[in-house]
Amino acid sequence: MIRSKKLTWALALPALALIFVFMILPITNMVEMSFRTPGSSEPFGEDYTWMHYTRILGDGYYWGVLRRSLYTAGIVTLLCLVVSYPIAWHLSRAKGFKAVFLYACIASPLMTGVLVRNFGWMIVAALNGPLNESLIALGIIERPLRLLFTQSLVILALVHVFVPFMVLPINNALRNIPQSLTEASASMGASRYQVFRDIILPLSFPGIQPGVILVYVLAVAAYVTPALLGGQMVSYMPTLIIGELTGTFQWPFGSALAIVLSFSTVLVVVLFTRLTWKLNERARA
Amino acid sequence: MTTVEVKNLRKSYDDFLALDGVSLTAETGQLVTLLGPSGCGKSTTLRCLAGFHEPNGGDILVDGESILNVPSNRRKFGVVFQNYALFPHMTVAENIGYGLRLQKRSKGEIETRVFDVMKLVRLTGLEDRLPREISGGQQQRVALARALVLKPRLLLLDEPLANLDARLRDEVRWLIRDLQQQSGITAFYVTHDQSEAMAMSDMVAVMKAGRVAQFATPREIYQKPSERYVADFTGEANFLTAQRVQPVAEGRYSVHVAGADIEVEGVPGLLKNAAAELLLRPESLTLVTTGDTATFEGEVIKCAFLGASLHCEIALPEGGRLKLTAPPNHEVGAGDRVGIAIDLSHAWLMPEVAP
Ligand SMILES: Nc1ncnc2c1ncn2[C@@H]1O[C@H](COP(=O)(O)OP(=O)(O)OP(=O)(O)O)[C@@H](O)[C@H]1O
Ligand SMILES: [Mg+2]
Repeated sequence: MIRSKKLTWALALPALALIFVFMILPITNMVEMSFRTPGSSEPFGEDYTWMHYTRILGDGYYWGVLRRSLYTAGIVTLLCLVVSYPIAWHLSRAKGFKAVFLYACIASPLMTGVLVRNFGWMIVAALNGPLNESLIALGIIERPLRLLFTQSLVILALVHVFVPFMVLPINNALRNIPQSLTEASASMGASRYQVFRDIILPLSFPGIQPGVILVYVLAVAAYVTPALLGGQMVSYMPTLIIGELTGTFQWPFGSALAIVLSFSTVLVVVLFTRLTWKLNERARA
Repeated sequence: MTTVEVKNLRKSYDDFLALDGVSLTAETGQLVTLLGPSGCGKSTTLRCLAGFHEPNGGDILVDGESILNVPSNRRKFGVVFQNYALFPHMTVAENIGYGLRLQKRSKGEIETRVFDVMKLVRLTGLEDRLPREISGGQQQRVALARALVLKPRLLLLDEPLANLDARLRDEVRWLIRDLQQQSGITAFYVTHDQSEAMAMSDMVAVMKAGRVAQFATPREIYQKPSERYVADFTGEANFLTAQRVQPVAEGRYSVHVAGADIEVEGVPGLLKNAAAELLLRPESLTLVTTGDTATFEGEVIKCAFLGASLHCEIALPEGGRLKLTAPPNHEVGAGDRVGIAIDLSHAWLMPEVAP
């Protein structure tokens, strides 16, 4: 369809305005802030400097935290994918009331506020909490495990809340695969596993890709869950950034950390998209 | 070498009975068409054959052995779908070679077999395109090649031409028939186009609401239908109510039709005075001058000049209408009284609905 250029622009205007106000402006502001000198009595000084970036990039500690953040988010995303795929599969087969019920179940982690959900995890994972008790009752462990304030619990809690973001796009992609394709491959001799490997999995990739990106970005930026369930022992970038911004009031340094984190995340996402580009292009039909 | 015997097949979806006792046979190398209107159960029958549905009753024997317990991936049947069902993420060559790759054939063998079959269906040069980058007719031929390359025991085609335009349909139709005959593969072919069914098939099964109304050769289906439904579905047809049906020999009856007493062939086993209809195909009727050889007389209602022929509709005084085709040089128009001669050897007496 050919439309007039003017009309196209007019139609894009609301979206552009939104992006400008809520994305371009704040980011520009952040970038500018990250180059400010530290202030003595105010959160930031008058002049501009590179010092925050050289400090971050020159300090192994920050590299370590950044690596942990990116790595943990990767683990969360991977686990999320493994957990979500079968769920998405079932959801994509469900019809009528069953489908509605499943959708509600899948969205349920998002129905509680972030604080309530994390306090819930604290109770569940406490030394004498239900999780430890049932593990002991089942004879899997003898003495209660220290679960709270561990990295594993943070990962578990993040996987729990991000599952819907992975399930929904994959479900969508799976629903778009015509049944005749799986039947065709079966008639050509493919076992159920081969049908899955050769047809279903590649064709669901257009759902896997956005799911992975979404969950990864959310996991990198997660603050409350690591802060509450991770304790003081391990730091992640968001906890560090918030500390600088609201704890020690070092706005320029905090901004620089935030920019470094965002940049790294985008880099990972771009790399992932580039690597999977071909696969996605083909499956996109 | 494959013979197929479908015995009293039954299949219901939830509480809807889609197949109510379908029985068919196919001899080695035959192309059997399932013909019928939308929703009569053609695809369901084919899907039971392919193993995508499990029938609720009946049996399917291939070379004398029941295949109901054989999963679809072990049946070695080639299936061609109405929407082609090409794998969108594989190139044309990958689509065609997929089944061979599953069989773990050597790279060289796959390459030559794919190349050969692509030449057969005239697709050479499109190996590296994705399905969405080729035309509908080409996609259709990829689907065909993909099934043929595995040398299936049985070929199942579900309205393979439905999405093609008239010219392509003709071309691919003959391609399918040629390939099927050359390779001697037994095939089931679903269509709701009667001319397609007539032209291609060795046997036609006319289906009606989950049953086979008649299973016979195309000629028999057309000339000796078992009931009005079959006659209606297989081409232009005139029906006249027959009275005073009187069997005179096996499959021969004397009847009183539209004021005339005639003797015709018909479905065997009709009883004396049974309710029956006389089928007169348009080509067994000729316009004649009133009087001499005319069996019926009537008044022309409509006449359309089509160049090569004249299509007329004639009302009989006793009620009933006849459509016929006359040579174009006949000068008749609406309102004229005309005589009609019947080629009685091609009239056919049959029940309105088969018992
Ligand atoms: N999955 C299904 N669930 C419920 N009913 C179905 C299902 N598939 C088919 N039917 C019904 O079974 C009947 C036979 O369907 P089928 O697909 O065999 O028809 P068909 O003869 O192939 O028709 P068409 O020419 O339109 O393809 C139809 O009335 C249809 O509504
Ligand atoms: Mg159908």
